[in-house]
Amino acid sequence: MENNTPLLEVKDLDVRFAVRGGDLTALRGISFSLDKGERLGLVGESGAGKSVAAFSILNLIARPGYIAGGQILFEGRDLAAMSERELRKIRGNRIAMIFQDPMMTLNPVLSIGTQMVEAIKAHRRISTKAARDIAVGKLRKVQIPSPEKRLDQYPHELSGGMRQRVIIAIALLLDPEIIVADEPTTALDVTIQAEIMALLLDLCEQENVALMLITHDLGVVSQVTQRMLVMYSGRIIEQGPTREIINDAQHPYTQGLINALPQMGEPGARLFQIPGSMPSLKNVPTGCPFHPRCDFATDQCRQTMPEYVRSGNVDVACYEVSNLIEQEKNMQEAGS
Amino acid sequence: MTTATLSRWDRFRESFLWYSFKRDKVAIASFVVLVLMLLAAIFAPLLAPTNPYDLAQINIMNSELPPIGMQGADSAFPLGTDAQGRDMLSTILYGTRVSLLIGFGAVVLQAALGILFGLLAGYLGGRVDSILMRIADVQLSFSTLMVAIIVGAVFKASFGNLMFGEIAIYMLIFIIGVAEWPQIARTVRASVLAEKKKEYVDAAKVMGFRTNRIMFRHILPNTLSPIFVIATVQIANAIISEAALSFLGLGMPETQPSLGSLIKSGFDYIQSGSWWITLIPGLVLVVLVLVINLLGDWLRDVMNPRLYKG
Amino acid sequence: MTSPLVEIRGLEKRFDLSGSLLEQITFKNGRFQRKQEAVHAINGVDLQVQKGEALCVVGESGCGKSTVARTVMGLLSPSAGEVHYGGSRIDNLKGRDVLPYRRKMQMIFQNPYASLNPRMTIQQTLEEPIHFHRPELARSEVREKVQEVMQSVGIDPDWGSRFGHEFSGGQRQRIAIARALAVDPEFIVADEPISALDVSIQAQVLNLLMEAQETRNLTYLFITHDLAVVEHFGTRVAVMYLGRVCELADTKTLFAEPRHPYTQALLSAIPKLEDDRPNYIRLQGEVPTPVNLPSGCVFHGRCPYANERCRQEIPQLIATDGGAQVACHAVEEGRL
Repeated sequence: MENNTPLLEVKDLDVRFAVRGGDLTALRGISFSLDKGERLGLVGESGAGKSVAAFSILNLIARPGYIAGGQILFEGRDLAAMSERELRKIRGNRIAMIFQDPMMTLNPVLSIGTQMVEAIKAHRRISTKAARDIAVGKLRKVQIPSPEKRLDQYPHELSGGMRQRVIIAIALLLDPEIIVADEPTTALDVTIQAEIMALLLDLCEQENVALMLITHDLGVVSQVTQRMLVMYSGRIIEQGPTREIINDAQHPYTQGLINALPQMGEPGARLFQIPGSMPSLKNVPTGCPFHPRCDFATDQCRQTMPEYVRSGNVDVACYEVSNLIEQEKNMQEAGS
Repeated sequence: MTTATLSRWDRFRESFLWYSFKRDKVAIASFVVLVLMLLAAIFAPLLAPTNPYDLAQINIMNSELPPIGMQGADSAFPLGTDAQGRDMLSTILYGTRVSLLIGFGAVVLQAALGILFGLLAGYLGGRVDSILMRIADVQLSFSTLMVAIIVGAVFKASFGNLMFGEIAIYMLIFIIGVAEWPQIARTVRASVLAEKKKEYVDAAKVMGFRTNRIMFRHILPNTLSPIFVIATVQIANAIISEAALSFLGLGMPETQPSLGSLIKSGFDYIQSGSWWITLIPGLVLVVLVLVINLLGDWLRDVMNPRLYKG
Repeated sequence: MTSPLVEIRGLEKRFDLSGSLLEQITFKNGRFQRKQEAVHAINGVDLQVQKGEALCVVGESGCGKSTVARTVMGLLSPSAGEVHYGGSRIDNLKGRDVLPYRRKMQMIFQNPYASLNPRMTIQQTLEEPIHFHRPELARSEVREKVQEVMQSVGIDPDWGSRFGHEFSGGQRQRIAIARALAVDPEFIVADEPISALDVSIQAQVLNLLMEAQETRNLTYLFITHDLAVVEHFGTRVAVMYLGRVCELADTKTLFAEPRHPYTQALLSAIPKLEDDRPNYIRLQGEVPTPVNLPSGCVFHGRCPYANERCRQEIPQLIATDGGAQVACHAVEEGRL
């Protein structure tokens, strides 16, 4: 919050999917911002819309999906209204993306070097020799041993962890402002995951790159990010500083998500469980989408979607929370 | 999911199959034409003005009459007559019946052999797989027509023309069925290989179910979609094969004509101006094969899960 | 000590990679050679599962934990070694002799989207095993049994005529559990039963498994990569690495004081909510392929404490003062 305009600002973003029988709303009224060098976590279960949110930031929503409303302001320019040609100058260059499956980025029939050089030359007019030097430098940065040799290798010759490192090196090639990482370590083993996450964190800090980390793993979010968003059924239901949310979540869903983790439970005892499961996009309940699974649901929750209220530094969309805040205020007034 | 249970019909009406059918005009048109032809073939004895198999109803004096709208046409014979004086409409109705019968019969035989061998090869693997698939390879390296010509010639020589006429239809079903089973067997084997890796098969094994039960009750129903697609196309292929054989004089005799033998019988008269004897059954054959293939293409698009589930 | 319910002795499993005899012959240095390659998935594993306990087998991908599960269940036949159930050997049984054990031993699979037959209704899926194993039951009795088991896993018995794809992932996993419970087993092998599920659903399914254990007096062999789950669920833990057990201990002992260097690294790599940064023990290198196993201790290439003896001699599981069994020369020699 040092300077007043954030690097990326998403305002009231709506994304829909045109399917048979009408439109499905995948994202509804998503608003958040990302400052330079900030690390933001996007948490949710499958179907919450976190990957759609990541893709829409690069305006990469493929048909039948489309951006139905809202703005995605990157350095003040609206990506949602930009032509494909202009977008190409930003994608991979200013905003880079890391996918869960390395093979979505890597072409199996081209060598690592060819792909890296190609990526650089798509955005910069430099010689192949200079591009290779940049590539070697980035591979060294992600701690790949003997990077010169790796340039001539093919993706299948590398282990899963090495591949994900190469992907990070490719994301860094053009010194982007933002890296969007969609579940970058889900397919990897825990020990490798820890290494990759540590690497990503170090790199973002060193180069002052903003990171948007999409994950279902609250542990990873708490280790890597400064702020986090919790998504449910296409909406952001809670956002604020990571530590504050992890230590004292406000929304009943976030609370449930944290308490359901085995590491939070007493060994051998029953885990806290949220009943039911996330509704499919086809039949999102009216009002607060979480109400059928919520212990605190009232008629108000069933009818209208709650507005955001601020509790500490956290924005929460929940009537129960706003009522509690109200009560507290009244108590204080009564006390004084 | 408000209603607890859905009837089969409701399920069908909500299915992707029905949805995409409603939206595909080509599929609807093909389906309508095919159903009309099937009905015409099934009810040929009721629809046809005359019975072309009944020699008593044929008058040689009526031979080579042109279809209605041409000079010298007789309103009793709307599509004209052939060289023997048989009503073309009746012979075509009966001929379509024979062609379709052979097409379906051959595919039923193909499917029976193909599914059995494909399942065995795919599920058991190893040596059984190698042996069955090598047999299939050998089988495929012979052209269907070549096999049919040899077998047909042998049958004809050993049974004589009269007897041959009676068994011709079974012989054609047998030849085309046996010659083409590897197509289906390969399709089945490929989907069995994919299915048997899935955990529901392991779950069935863990239950202690025997191999037969797992193969036929658990795996087979899940391989039916691709079989359905390929069987549709194979019906068209079988009808063409039959027509080709009949055209070469190795198929249905002229006394029980199929579309192919009708085309052949008229071929000799094209030069003398009686083009309708060949052209009309030819058109019917083309339309029949075309609509089946169009439906097959549509089915393949619908049943390819990658197109709508991914 | 009472005799164990399930006992695995000297289990080995190799998967042949070289194919038929013709494919094995290679021409090298002017000579024909026969070359055989195999994946060494399990290399001498001894485990005992006591009645009523939940023995967890933990490890990263490729460590052989799933192969152990499948070999115990008879889905794979061991290359060497024996599997005993209730005192009698079962890995060499054929045909009808296996059937009694099929009723007593059941399995729950990882992927709830593949473990239900898509062409069968839930009712059919659950009735078939009961019919098969208890042909003496009348139709109405089978139905009753199905209703009862559906209720016990929290699935509405009225949904029996639906197909698997009409349910969510968590519900499908409940149905898969119901299928396993339908034949009233004593022993259940659960192969990563919650790793394909969302966090809030994981808690539900874990609770269900624990409940079933109490009410039905079940014994579990629980395969997982997630140590946090183990701490919660397991009575004892076996940590596997490259087809060998490197540490075997009571859950409490293992988490309080992990002895094997690999166990320590694995534990440290769990992303914890209280951490603000990735905080883990860094291992060198990567997991070697199970095709060419390292000599000596399979972990020596990545172990910070490895010495000459570790490179030469295979360590055996040895009981330590803490109660854990550890296969590590450094622990045995008191270097660690």
